[in-house]
Amino acid sequence: MPQTEEEAAAPARRDRVFLVVVDDSPEREVALKYACLRARKGGGRVALLRVLEPAELVEWAGVGAMMQEERREEAEKLLSGLAAQVNEMTGTLPILIIREGDPRDELLALLEEDPRISILVLASATGGGGPGPLITALTGRYAARLTVPMTIVPGGLDDAELDRVT
Amino acid sequence: MQVYLPIAEMSVDALLLVSIGFAVGWLSGLFGVGGGFLLTPLLILIGIPSPVAVASGANQTLGASVSGLIAQWRRGNVDAKMGTVLLVGGLLGSAAGVQLFGLLRRIGQVDLAVALFYVVVLGTVGTLMVMESVRAILRRRQAVRRRLHEHLWAHGLPFKMRFRKSRLYISVIPPLLVGFAVGVLSAVMGVGGGFMLVPAMIYFLGMPTAVVIGTSLFQVVFVTANVTLLQAVQLGTVDIVLTMLLLLGAVAGAQFGAAMGARLRGEETRALLGLLVLAVAASLLWDLVRPPERPFSIGPAL
Repeated sequence: MPQTEEEAAAPARRDRVFLVVVDDSPEREVALKYACLRARKGGGRVALLRVLEPAELVEWAGVGAMMQEERREEAEKLLSGLAAQVNEMTGTLPILIIREGDPRDELLALLEEDPRISILVLASATGGGGPGPLITALTGRYAARLTVPMTIVPGGLDDAELDRVT
Repeated sequence: MQVYLPIAEMSVDALLLVSIGFAVGWLSGLFGVGGGFLLTPLLILIGIPSPVAVASGANQTLGASVSGLIAQWRRGNVDAKMGTVLLVGGLLGSAAGVQLFGLLRRIGQVDLAVALFYVVVLGTVGTLMVMESVRAILRRRQAVRRRLHEHLWAHGLPFKMRFRKSRLYISVIPPLLVGFAVGVLSAVMGVGGGFMLVPAMIYFLGMPTAVVIGTSLFQVVFVTANVTLLQAVQLGTVDIVLTMLLLLGAVAGAQFGAAMGARLRGEETRALLGLLVLAVAASLLWDLVRPPERPFSIGPAL
């Protein structure tokens, strides 16, 4: 059965996963929207990664455990809220990943471990203070450790512009 | 290298003081604690008079807590409204504590009282810490008992106030009482009181843990500042030479501690801190009960 190139590529495109790092920056929204639009228009899924701050050592073990528990719960709440957004935009639920540690190290470790992820989507900060710590690290000293292509979305793009470029 | 401490009226090895400051600063960086509860008894054990040791402990805690407070404030982890209520209680408590301290000094029982306070408080805290960590080591990472939104008797009290950041609507009386109690301890023992304030805020007031550390530092900074000032003005017991030497070591130590604390995590470290606290309590207790080498001494009448 003859197969066009387009047909052969279709399942592969559906399988691709856009990874968005959920931090507390305002440009996270732009990266998320970009990833959703790409997934909707070209196929694929969205994965959300939230990296928790590791627990500080506090003198009481019970307090420390409770702190960690509350942080995790908060992250879960945040991710499930965003998952609903993603579901609305793409029609599929995203893959949710929660990790604990330094955001940069955990992101690189995840990319190495998880073969499903095909593209990393980051949005750059709009202010004059540089593009943000992750982009700075991944385009600079840690560029060699990157195992997937990375898309940098300008943080200042509005919805219409995002629609045009996806 | 011996230096003379003008207020403590004795000579001490300056290097010893710097290394005590370093060790305590290291621990405070590691655990994010003020360190007063270790510094004051250590100073008493090397022979510094209790009033001077208490005042210096409070001052040291102030120095160690300011940078922590600034960091927490930037991250938005301070509930300033709750902090202010606690602080009002804390200021009243520390003022009362300094009066109590002055009274004890006049009747000549200050050494005994401070040592007793330490033996009781450190003994309890150390035992709890060790028990808690042993339990945690024995059954690593079991599900934490969840705290539901419970209604304690404290919720029925009048003068309710809304604390937005802590997501609480409670009477101001419990936080005032907690602040007062910690203020008294701070004045009498020369500690910041964070190690008691933090559990009290979580279990008694029901605050979310994210704002607890920052808010407790807020209270600690202002209360220890007040204690240092009152001790200096009313009792004249702050020794600037002693304080400078201790802070010199503490600043360096805190940097090392904070760097290590970022990587260390573990019940073992916590158990060690608990054991250290117990050891200090035990040596103070031993000092209280051991028969003196010379039952009395003869000196010139003053």
